[in-house]
Amino acid sequence: MIYPTRFGLTYVGFVVLVFLLGTNYQNNIILLFSYLLASLFISVMLHSFYNFSQLRFYSRAKQQGYADATLYYVIKITAKKTHYDINAHFSDARLNSPIVNLGQCKQGTQELILAYKPSKRGQYKLGRVTVFSEYSLGLFKSKAMLDFGHYAIIYPKAKSFIAGQYQLSGQVDEPNRESYQTTNSVGSDDFSELKSFVRGESKARTAWKQLAKGQGHYSKHYQASQGQLTWLKLSDMPSNDLEIQLAYLSFLIGELTTAKQSFGLALCPDMTNTAMNIPPNSGFHHQQACLTALALY
Amino acid sequence: MMLFNKKKKLVSQNTSGNVNGKTMSNFYLSRQNSWLLCLCQCLNIAVVALELSTWMLIIIALSLAWQALLLQQNRATANTSRGKHPGTVQSNLASKRHSHGPSKQLATNISPVVLGIFALLGCVAIALTAKQVGILLSMVHLLCFSYALKGFELRTRRDFYQLLLLGLFILASALIFRQDLVFSLIILSLLIINLTVLLQFFSSENAFATNLKVVVVLLGQSALLAVVLFLVFPRLSPFWQVPFAKSAKTGLSDTVKPGDIANLTRSTKLAFRADFGGQKIPNYAQLYWRAMVLENYDGRQWRRQNKVTQNKADGSGTKSLIFDASNTEVLPLTYQVFVEASFQKYLFALAPAVVTGNASGITAQTDYTIQSSTIISQAKSYRLTSYLTAPLALELSPQSRQINLSYPQGSNPRLEQLALQLQHNYVDVQARAQAVLTLINQQNYSYTLQPPLLVNNSLDQFFFDSQAGFCVHYASAFTFLMRASGIPARLVTGYLGGEYNGVTNEVNSAGKIVNKGHLSIYQYDAHAWSEIWVAGKGWLRIDPTGAVDPQRVNIGWSNQLLQEQAELNNTFFNLYRMKNIAWLNTLRLQFDALDYQWTRWVIGFTSQQQYDLLKHWFGKMVPWKLALIIAVTLVLSMLMLMLLLHWLNRPKVKKQAFAQWQIIYHKAIDRLAKQGMEKPLAMTVNDFAKKIRQQYPELALVFTQLSASYNRLCYQTLSISEQEKQTVTMQQQYHHFIQVLKNSDKKHL
Repeated sequence: MIYPTRFGLTYVGFVVLVFLLGTNYQNNIILLFSYLLASLFISVMLHSFYNFSQLRFYSRAKQQGYADATLYYVIKITAKKTHYDINAHFSDARLNSPIVNLGQCKQGTQELILAYKPSKRGQYKLGRVTVFSEYSLGLFKSKAMLDFGHYAIIYPKAKSFIAGQYQLSGQVDEPNRESYQTTNSVGSDDFSELKSFVRGESKARTAWKQLAKGQGHYSKHYQASQGQLTWLKLSDMPSNDLEIQLAYLSFLIGELTTAKQSFGLALCPDMTNTAMNIPPNSGFHHQQACLTALALY
Repeated sequence: MMLFNKKKKLVSQNTSGNVNGKTMSNFYLSRQNSWLLCLCQCLNIAVVALELSTWMLIIIALSLAWQALLLQQNRATANTSRGKHPGTVQSNLASKRHSHGPSKQLATNISPVVLGIFALLGCVAIALTAKQVGILLSMVHLLCFSYALKGFELRTRRDFYQLLLLGLFILASALIFRQDLVFSLIILSLLIINLTVLLQFFSSENAFATNLKVVVVLLGQSALLAVVLFLVFPRLSPFWQVPFAKSAKTGLSDTVKPGDIANLTRSTKLAFRADFGGQKIPNYAQLYWRAMVLENYDGRQWRRQNKVTQNKADGSGTKSLIFDASNTEVLPLTYQVFVEASFQKYLFALAPAVVTGNASGITAQTDYTIQSSTIISQAKSYRLTSYLTAPLALELSPQSRQINLSYPQGSNPRLEQLALQLQHNYVDVQARAQAVLTLINQQNYSYTLQPPLLVNNSLDQFFFDSQAGFCVHYASAFTFLMRASGIPARLVTGYLGGEYNGVTNEVNSAGKIVNKGHLSIYQYDAHAWSEIWVAGKGWLRIDPTGAVDPQRVNIGWSNQLLQEQAELNNTFFNLYRMKNIAWLNTLRLQFDALDYQWTRWVIGFTSQQQYDLLKHWFGKMVPWKLALIIAVTLVLSMLMLMLLLHWLNRPKVKKQAFAQWQIIYHKAIDRLAKQGMEKPLAMTVNDFAKKIRQQYPELALVFTQLSASYNRLCYQTLSISEQEKQTVTMQQQYHHFIQVLKNSDKKHL
């Protein structure tokens, strides 16, 4: 879509003014000047069109992050030649997104980064992205509304929480933990397997029984320490406000992931509800899954 | 990037809240562009500087200098703050913080109130002087004043746009005052610079020269459509009355004192041009371009006869006095005259002449001069037919006789005495005139540009004492003598001669000599001569200058006169020198020819000419046809422009340069293909070599070597010297291969 900007319309008015000046003074040079300016309007239109055409845009739809933190949507622009003055912003005026400018888009791939700073947790559909250019003289605006299906998943903002408080509530939770342990029958420092001896391994681990029987030199291996198995429960959070509870959970998820501890998330008191509860695990993906669950709760 | 494009962020008061409004608030202008804009303002104002009053120029210069100072200060603060945080310059945030300082300072330096008061004062001053300088000039003053002040409040993008449009408007209005080729080219180049400043705003990372090129390309592409519009778009008549420039009159004035024209001849400005369109141009001595007839003499100076008294004989009487072309047998000479703006009304003609072609706004006078009905404020052209040898006014009205015989008694007693003596000695009128000319010729009179000053412009003093003068001295004294001796006589001013510019002696198919060129008549060709009325012959032209300096009348300026002129005047000196250097003179003449074409086809392109041109192309014109032509040509030219741009913007397929070894291998493959062994595209080089080995054992060795070299060059990373070495080896292998191939061919045969 290409249409004259307000300046473009003013410019047309200006050209008419110059034309009137030339006509009233019967001055051919002024007339020629106005014709030249009028033709310039047309050629600038074509130039804006060609400046804006043959651009390719790619962008990842999903971004996630904590509330009040800025999310960055990277739009990759692939160009076959140099393009100028590429601007982008989210089309939705309510998002109040600032205009990001790329002064010169050289041949190859460049990036435009749109920022979005939400204040509340949840999932947001950001709608389309308006990409526009006012090159070459600001007379025309070439505009395109691109739908990347951008959406944001916003986790509750982490609210720091004294760990001891939680330890306490963890102990209260003991029976549940026990049952979990029994069902899994995996304890800490349990023997797990025998592996053939590798030089340099501690002799203390040698499975002497097997060696004595002449079955070969093996060393005993034990399952690594799992630490405390934890269920993070929404109902355990010490607040009446749901949002604050979620904020605490968000904090704890972050802390436990940093500590590489395994944990599960229970948003629903009913432990059989698998849709609302995430079984214990650890690692980045687990953290993401848990935080997403918090965001969408 | 941010380091170099130190941007000044100015907070706008624009609170429209929508997205577009926000763009407005983020208005940046790079440092380079700010300076360019400032320069642009200076240049734009410079083109109209000649029209502005001195006080306005001073104000404008001060405000522009102030703006430049502010810019300089901005840079200074930006530099110091940059120095404080050398590590953080690259981050976006840091540079924004830097630029906050200067912007604040700019805001505190010029408060809107001060600016407002200043603007108000300026407007009052302009209004006060409006009566003096005229409406048009005060408008120009106002325009320039606002343009200079607008630079102070560049807060939003809109201000920037306004400033640019104001600048363009100044350029357009500068064209009211001058339209010649040089000036138009200056305006065009300024337009390019102005647009580049605008473009620079949108692609600030490009160098100025690159953007300049882009603008030139843009304008070049627009030129096509502009020319089409110029040719076909209807010329409209003025919509309303506009104030015209009250510029200083140039050229001859309607009162003449002895010594006046000598001053005029110091100017090398063009007065007018004449195009005889292939006809033989009359001799130099016949080119008396008549501008004004001065019949009133008060003893000091010559004046035109008051128009009111002439108009009394208006109506049918006047008509009969104007030259009637129908009852003359003299060969007509038709030519076109292109006058430059003189801000006067008189036009030029070789008398007697009638206006041919479009005669609107041009009237022939009873004294055989031609006048425009309006002041000539821009170049104008008209067509005349002259009958050079036809007599002027065989009848003389008693009123006219009385005017042309009157002189203030006792103003020049010695001349009057001489006149009486002549009247007594020579009864025949023409013999009496000839006697005066002989007197001038034989006595020690000199023709000079620097005649001694005369007390009270006394002709006596000139004729009997100083005996040195310019054309007006001689013409005045002669006319006075004639009047005093009872012959009706009058003074005529105009131009004599002209510089021929073009190819002479070109013979056309009919064997006639064709002149392809024009005459340029400059201010230094200004001249004065006199006319006496003889019964049965009418007004006879008599040029007393011819008696004292025949060369002036027959060829032009004598060398002595030219040297005198050159001493007096620097520009004339330059011209004189230029004329003596052949190639410079050729260049000057060529430029004059170019300027003539410009005057003729662009400045002088009237609606009549437009109509004729369209008629010539498309036949008889009717309104619907005209509309159709306009529409079709516009659409066509726009289509052409689009196609051109489409072609220019087509995706460029880069031709991959093949390396030497690739060429060699493909040549070998081609040779084999000719032998009936084509290499399928999918087959690898090695597989193909294997196939050759099996089918043509005699080629096996050479071709395998070649293939191996090719593979090596293709897939191994080699240094450049190794590559070269390998390529040379491959070349040898190729020659070997060709030989073997030829040998095997022979064997097969």
